[in-house]
Amino acid sequence: MRALRRITPITWARAALFVGVFLIFSLAVDGFATKNNVYTIFEGFAWQGLAALAVGITIIAGEFDLSVGSAAAVAGILAMKFIPTLGLIPTILVVGLIGMGFGLIQGMLIYRLKIASLVFTLGSLIGLRGLAFMISGENTVVLHDLEVAKAVKRQLFIFSPFSLTTIAIFVVVALFFRYHRYGREVLAIGGGRNEAVAAGVPLARPLVIAFALSGMFAALTGALSSIKSGSAQPQGFEQLLLPAVTAALIGGVSLFGGKGTALGIAVGALTIRFLNSGLSLPGAPYYVVTLTTGSLLIIVVLLELVLDRPELRNRLRLRRLQRAMARELRSS
Amino acid sequence: MKDPATRLEISPDAPDEAARIRSSRIATIAIVGAAVVVLFLVGWLTTPEFVRWANLRNIIRAAAMIGMIALGMTFITLSGNFFSLSVSQTGAFSAIAFAYMLQWDWPLGLAIIAVLAGALIVGAAQGGLVALGGNPIVVTLGFGAALFGLGSTLTDNKTIRTGSTAADWMGTARPLGIPTQTWAFIFLAIIAAVVLTRTRFGRNVLFVGGNKFAAAASGIRPSRVAVQVFSISALAASIAGIFLSAQFSEGRLDSFTGDDINAIAAILVGGAALQGGEGSALRTALGAVFIAALENLMVLRKYSFGVRKLWVGVAILAAVSLFNYLRSRARTT
Repeated sequence: MRALRRITPITWARAALFVGVFLIFSLAVDGFATKNNVYTIFEGFAWQGLAALAVGITIIAGEFDLSVGSAAAVAGILAMKFIPTLGLIPTILVVGLIGMGFGLIQGMLIYRLKIASLVFTLGSLIGLRGLAFMISGENTVVLHDLEVAKAVKRQLFIFSPFSLTTIAIFVVVALFFRYHRYGREVLAIGGGRNEAVAAGVPLARPLVIAFALSGMFAALTGALSSIKSGSAQPQGFEQLLLPAVTAALIGGVSLFGGKGTALGIAVGALTIRFLNSGLSLPGAPYYVVTLTTGSLLIIVVLLELVLDRPELRNRLRLRRLQRAMARELRSS
Repeated sequence: MKDPATRLEISPDAPDEAARIRSSRIATIAIVGAAVVVLFLVGWLTTPEFVRWANLRNIIRAAAMIGMIALGMTFITLSGNFFSLSVSQTGAFSAIAFAYMLQWDWPLGLAIIAVLAGALIVGAAQGGLVALGGNPIVVTLGFGAALFGLGSTLTDNKTIRTGSTAADWMGTARPLGIPTQTWAFIFLAIIAAVVLTRTRFGRNVLFVGGNKFAAAASGIRPSRVAVQVFSISALAASIAGIFLSAQFSEGRLDSFTGDDINAIAAILVGGAALQGGEGSALRTALGAVFIAALENLMVLRKYSFGVRKLWVGVAILAAVSLFNYLRSRARTT
């Protein structure tokens, strides 16, 4: 009971949204709640969920990684180039490590140069996109060995090797954030950075970890989904940020940092996929999905801001204080 | 010394510090100006067609479109709210709305006012969410997507012809040999500069960006400033959209693709501090000219799309690092 009471109204709202969207589409859309469609939903979850995890971790750390889309594009092209020589699994590992290395450097530079991560990752957003065009020769890179693609998306009940990989990553990240000291440090610097540093958290470590994970997951998103589709485009993944951020926020990642779980992000990403599938199955064009996702993001932000009572209370108190001070200044 | 603010200087070092900050500001504008001059010199020496009048006119027209958007967004940046990811969609949506209204034979003036009023509402809504504490990037990401989705749904993803010559003059005329867009850009730059430096509102924007809590404690409401700056940004993007619609006699949803980044690039190359509180309209305008000229030069030299993007990224990183370094030196020495 106590555990139940600790669940905030906004968490109930999230769970209700998750279940509600699934139920409504199951009833309203033919073929939604079938085995094959759930497989498709998980296929979408496999890449969007991973991207949501990448962005979500940096938001939890009180930062923001804008570069995930461009990083995924570069990783996709690299994967296409590596596969003929390296084979499937080494390619995924190598590209994941490259992404991690890139994120590591990015995190270190953000720490060292004390440039806001928003600015820094905006630079890498542009730079990596340029790189994607350069290494691909401005063309779509195609995978000739389609057996590899089949290996990644082979249907196992409602899963595939791809979605199982993503689920495994989610489990590992959840355990890391829950039980490992380094993971908890990421939450700590997101919630109250000064307090965390005062309590002895070395700021550099969680910051670098957050960006390294973000870089790795972005790279895996790009590599795995490009292998799956058998081709990588330099302009690919340009709209990745919208579903990723929306999923993270639906999943309870706080905009102010310090709050959020891997499970929540998974729930958020699945909610987005339900919506996507439920709208596209009857034939709605892609921009209706964009409209819905964008509106959902606005609503979630609004809900968090309104329902997050202590925040609002502080703000109101501040405003009262300001008015009182202004009155006093005027009368003196 | 009639300015009452000077009376607040208590520390004996204060005038010294003010002078130092002022000199670092002059240094910043000199650097941005020098970068533009060097770029034009390099262009002139390496690519003769770069400095032909017809090409220069292309540059100033492109600079005007990026620049108008960037000038509006400068208010967001200066107020400490980073930037907006919805300006290109706001511009494109405005272009479509404008094209529709001309199609319906609305008078030109009424169409312009209606589009601007709509943009104002959209901007104020975003500012309102930011004022409540929303992250500006996330809020504008959501609004950008919603605007794009709504626009595509309304137009069925098609180009909307204006079907009218009412706005042709606005889009294609060249008073004194300079395109109307450029006149609008110059005009808006002057207004933005005057508002930022000479009005109470402008000083409030810079104050809130410099130190939100100090500003709040001295009676400025950061939430109101947030609503105002996002409205201004949407308004500026909408003006650019109207001009684009008038120039090509059509509205298209992809007409501003990539201009969010270009506008942000212009602001950053102009040396505005992304944490807010420092920067100027004039520098943003110069930044827009720099970005437009750089793009143009690279296209003339047949650089591929990827290489062009890479160099814009390099320019941003170089500018941010250099100005960050200069600012930290001005504060500590």
